[in-house]
Amino acid sequence: MSALTDRIVEDFATGARALPGSGIADTRRRSAIKALEAQGLPGSRDENWKYANLRALERMRFVPAPAPQILPSLAHLPEALPGISRYVFVDGHFAPAVSATLAAGAARATRLSQPAEAAPAETVPVDAVPAEGITRADQRFALLNEAFATDGLRIDVAATSGAPLQLEVLFVASAPAQSGASYPRLEVHLEPGAQLTLIERHSSATAQASFVTSAVQVELARGAQLEHYRLQELDNRSTFFDTLSGELAEDAAYRLHGISTGGQSARSTLSLRLAGERADLSLALAALGDRQQVQDAYAVVEHAAPNARTVQTFRGIAAGRARVAFNGKIIVAPGARGTDSHQSLRGLLAGPEAEIDVRPQLEIYTDEVRCNHGATAGKLDDDMLFYLLSRGLDRDSAQRLLKWAFLEDVISQVTLRPLRRQIEERLAVHLRDETLRELL
Amino acid sequence: MLSIRNLSVTVEGKKILDGLNLEVGAGEVHAIMGPNGSGKSTLAHVLAGRPGYTITSGSVHYLGRDLLVLPPEERARLGLFLGFQYPVEIPGVNNVYLLKAAVNALRRQQGLPEVDAFEFLALVREKMQLMHMEDSFLSRGVNEGFSGGEKKRNEILQMLVLEPRLAVLDETDSGLDIDALKVVAAGINSQRAPDRSCLLVTHYQRLLEYVVPDHVHVLVRGHIARSGDRTLALELERRGYDFIAGEAA
Repeated sequence: MSALTDRIVEDFATGARALPGSGIADTRRRSAIKALEAQGLPGSRDENWKYANLRALERMRFVPAPAPQILPSLAHLPEALPGISRYVFVDGHFAPAVSATLAAGAARATRLSQPAEAAPAETVPVDAVPAEGITRADQRFALLNEAFATDGLRIDVAATSGAPLQLEVLFVASAPAQSGASYPRLEVHLEPGAQLTLIERHSSATAQASFVTSAVQVELARGAQLEHYRLQELDNRSTFFDTLSGELAEDAAYRLHGISTGGQSARSTLSLRLAGERADLSLALAALGDRQQVQDAYAVVEHAAPNARTVQTFRGIAAGRARVAFNGKIIVAPGARGTDSHQSLRGLLAGPEAEIDVRPQLEIYTDEVRCNHGATAGKLDDDMLFYLLSRGLDRDSAQRLLKWAFLEDVISQVTLRPLRRQIEERLAVHLRDETLRELL
Repeated sequence: MLSIRNLSVTVEGKKILDGLNLEVGAGEVHAIMGPNGSGKSTLAHVLAGRPGYTITSGSVHYLGRDLLVLPPEERARLGLFLGFQYPVEIPGVNNVYLLKAAVNALRRQQGLPEVDAFEFLALVREKMQLMHMEDSFLSRGVNEGFSGGEKKRNEILQMLVLEPRLAVLDETDSGLDIDALKVVAAGINSQRAPDRSCLLVTHYQRLLEYVVPDHVHVLVRGHIARSGDRTLALELERRGYDFIAGEAA
């Protein structure tokens, strides 16, 4: 057992008493910590983990941060989207004062720490059905979350005739890593034919180096449709480990958008299983790294049923001394005939010391499939740059504009207008930042 | 306006321009003709400041300034415009956005405030009409999915909006059908003025039927082998480039 695992087990032993007993049952916490004790967290030699910054963990405390004494004011939170309910968790603790919760209706949002009678009878463990090809090792940060999570939200949506419900869950980190970690947790269940637009946002209330380990589980029943926006906007000194698992039944459609700009070290592990026929998945991910940021993501999609479709788009920009990595794996199981998958992965090197790694992987165990992929990593196109310069744009603006354009394939898929504007503003700040520093 | 003296340029060690001399006065239209590989496009690119060319001798003065020391964006802001032979597609950069950014770059240079968005759009629409371009163009990416002819018209549109002092048009006529050629020519003619000049780089005489040049130069092996008035272009059309190449040899 490594020193790191020792500390996790120790932190659990000292901190476990403070953890709420409901929500995640005590037995589940204990089995999670046992599994971690046996396996340890992944190391950089583990497959699929070589680009993540795991060394950051050496400095971390794993006990959950205490509930904040003073809640961040609304002014310090990302602007709320008009007409959209919002649940805010600060350092893993629900913050009703800055939340605008759902009225009763077809959707039910239940806090995981609420008394058992209000919570759904049985919540499925996050690591219950890992997609084929996602090893248990890839789920170990979800175990960490399961052991330590103080609270979280379970969202249950039934089919309705009206417009799809829109909901935001905002996880705010405010505690510095020295005083404890936060464990955002989200369980999303869409009943047959249900629809939901979900915004999941991770941000910092103050300029703090926080430690955040989130776990998200998504289950889409037959014909359910989920539009899921995930924005990682933590302070750029933070450490973020994220695990998302999802399963799609037949005719379910999942459009997952991820925009990752924050954190010093950020890692997302996405595992999606197309379990039903004609399930339809779109993954559109963008990651921006600058200075010494590490943005790493691993996405594995398993086609377990016939005639399902996956479209995977990744755009990553690495500037400064940043490292941006994306490993996208698609597995077509035996019997998943008629699979249609498309991967377009592109990385842009925006600095001489930056690093980009994009890797498409295909494992196909059946005939009659259509799978294509393209992956490129390179610098800004000289011809495009010259064209803009020849129109009088200064070099900085021209480069910024081209980076902007590079992200277009992901950003243009954000159909929720006010959210898109927020994302664009965030990206503009990120891109401009860099220009400023080049001038200094 | 433009004064080129004894200009020699190499690309990867290969001599492309070889002692080229050219004077373009204010209000004049000059046509640069020549066979493939004679250095026409190189001349256009060197004037606009494209990287990859090595100036081995000579000078270029534009509006009294040493042009060759200026970066491309400053040349553009001083009113030098290059119409590309092969305009690049830039998906994700909106046409109107680029036009506006370009106009504002010019205005900043002149100490003027940013252009009013409303008036600007009206101006662009007016010029688009002249170029027979559809409204949908405004929201599309720069040259994205444009046909060859649309790209060329877009170049001329940009020129009309930017109102350069010196337009260098690199084979703007190539790949155009006769209707598009007339539209492009009308665009070029619409901005002929006593204080504005134009350098038409072309392989064929065809464009010159619609945009009548004041001077015609024939470029052979990197320098001007012969100059004349528009009748020179007609003679070239009749006799081909070989006769001049023969004389120059």
